[in-house]
Amino acid sequence: MRKFLTIVLCKLGHFAGKLVGKGSSLPGKLALKVCPDILARVRLPGHIIAVTGSNGKTSTVEMIAAILRADGKHVIYNEEGSNQIEGVTTLILTHATLGGAVRADVLLLESDERYARYSFRDFHPTAFVITNLYRDQLTRNGHPEWVYDAILPAIHPETELILNADDPLSSCFARGHEKVRWFGLDRCAFSTDAPTGVYHDGAYCPVCHAPMTYDYVHYNHIGAYRCTKCGHHKPAADCTATAADLEKGTLTIDGTVTVELAFRSIYNVYNILAAYAVCRRLGVSPETCAGVLNSYLLKNGRMQTFRLGQRHGTLLTSKHENSIAYDTNLRYIAASKEDCAVLVIVDAVSRKYFTSETSWLWDIDFDLLNVPHVREVVLSGRYCSDLAERFSYTEVKNWRVQPDIAAAAEELKSGGGELYVVTCFSDRDKLLAHVEKEA
Amino acid sequence: MEFRFLHFYPDLMSLYGSYGNIAVLRRYLERLGNTVAVETVSPGEAAEVSEADFLFMGAGTERSARTAMEDFARFGGAVKAAAEDGAAMLFAGTAMELLGERITEADGASYAGIGLAGFSTVHGETRLAEDVYGRTDLFPEAVVGFVNKCGIVTGVETPLLMRVEHGIGNEGRETPEGFHWKNVFASELTGPILVKNPKLLEAAAAAIYARRGESLPEDRAADDWAERGYAVTEEELRRRFARK
Repeated sequence: MRKFLTIVLCKLGHFAGKLVGKGSSLPGKLALKVCPDILARVRLPGHIIAVTGSNGKTSTVEMIAAILRADGKHVIYNEEGSNQIEGVTTLILTHATLGGAVRADVLLLESDERYARYSFRDFHPTAFVITNLYRDQLTRNGHPEWVYDAILPAIHPETELILNADDPLSSCFARGHEKVRWFGLDRCAFSTDAPTGVYHDGAYCPVCHAPMTYDYVHYNHIGAYRCTKCGHHKPAADCTATAADLEKGTLTIDGTVTVELAFRSIYNVYNILAAYAVCRRLGVSPETCAGVLNSYLLKNGRMQTFRLGQRHGTLLTSKHENSIAYDTNLRYIAASKEDCAVLVIVDAVSRKYFTSETSWLWDIDFDLLNVPHVREVVLSGRYCSDLAERFSYTEVKNWRVQPDIAAAAEELKSGGGELYVVTCFSDRDKLLAHVEKEA
Repeated sequence: MEFRFLHFYPDLMSLYGSYGNIAVLRRYLERLGNTVAVETVSPGEAAEVSEADFLFMGAGTERSARTAMEDFARFGGAVKAAAEDGAAMLFAGTAMELLGERITEADGASYAGIGLAGFSTVHGETRLAEDVYGRTDLFPEAVVGFVNKCGIVTGVETPLLMRVEHGIGNEGRETPEGFHWKNVFASELTGPILVKNPKLLEAAAAAIYARRGESLPEDRAADDWAERGYAVTEEELRRRFARK
């Protein structure tokens, strides 16, 4: 009876919330108050896939859902982005019958790294994808090892882990765990011989803290690592990107499946690999996977194009407090090879919480913009002086400051070449209000 | 003058842009006409602590700090002697904990610090992370920064921030923060702390000069961007905390 009432309550709450445009976590929160173990009382689908990690959760989940749906499976997932236990509860109960059977073939969950252990207290995923772990939102997350320790209790012995072979830290989840599948990327044209970036989190082994060596890296410290002491190393992957060309926009998986990349970013390559790896485990054919992934355009809009006066522009949403996301977008600009201007905006560090913490600016490799085709860099927003101070320690010379975002947009209307805007979800609308978005 | 900096474990203790502290201090001194040589020290490498004008270590993870300490122990005597002699040093972020007597980790295991001061740190399961606004007796302006740690530090007799008006200090909410004795500066505030606080940068530079028996020149240009950045954060934090 309690189960029945809780499900009804959650469904009503969700319906009411939709009418008033409220978030998706409140109904689940109420349900958990009424019946704290409700998730142990419902009948969940046979396949429960969870995705967590510092970067790529939302994109990977979206692609997994698209592939599985193309394969004819009924998939439910937390599209609205509530990735803690309350949102997960809302998702599950709103898709349950009043008797408590969840109507879906696959329950797919994007999971917050630090709260996964609460979400998976009463049930566990059959497959758990961990995309990567590195410096991200350190004001909330502490540091990557802190997040690693927070995820560990969420991993059930029966869960199959689907891990990134190229990440020295998140690959440690395989230690002592039986069921593991790996995805990874072989050396390719854009790989470098040694780690890049202004800090080096891969310098020491996450297991024994001895120095590590690298055969190659794809970005920052993600690549082929080997500990000089304990032997922790990049394992052979079960699902391998055997070739990737970001200039041509092609990716080859396991030597046979070719995917055209809609977005030529190394992130996109890894997200596609993770999605492919998990869908293959669920028995989807390589052809179906490739059919969906080919030129797949993400709905989550982290990259948008627009017009600003005479200029064509591209918004590269970078997540403040995430230096690797910034580095990846700066590398994208550096690789573009055509004359351009870059606008960097830091106005609110977060849209969800208050902080004036800007030390993450010192973790970003802004020297990537020290290339001839970047003609001008404009720094804007409330924290433009912190940005300027940071830039004064780079080799980039052609930067200037315009604190007011609207004025910066106005000034950048004239001038030739592409305009790249590098900023976060919290600040992008402050620029998008001044442009004409392209479809 | 020619100054020599030692930067301990730059790859191991590198969280929260720690290296920014060294970068701004170096440029500050160079703009005054000095030359600065920065030597990095990795685990196992030799270093002449007694000849250095400035010692620095930044923030690390709890596991990295323990690894750093395994190596740093061999410098303990030399660092204490240098501190006694008036050498300037900054232990920023979790590196501060290594100056104390003992660090106890969340699982109960513990290890010794170099014992330059009598304080001890106990780590917990909760991350203590938030903006901080406080006062030092070195200058009238407020000190701003962000604390990101899991340790409670007890037994500091001479804190750097005598008052934390908002945020977390050594022993918890609104308690004094950091450690300051002779020319030794230590603080768990990130920012990086010398980037975010131009006055503290000046104090660190003055400490380096003082060891050479000199005062900072009267005529020195301010770093406009750093000053403006400080003003924004100071205002944001003051406004934020006034609302509370």
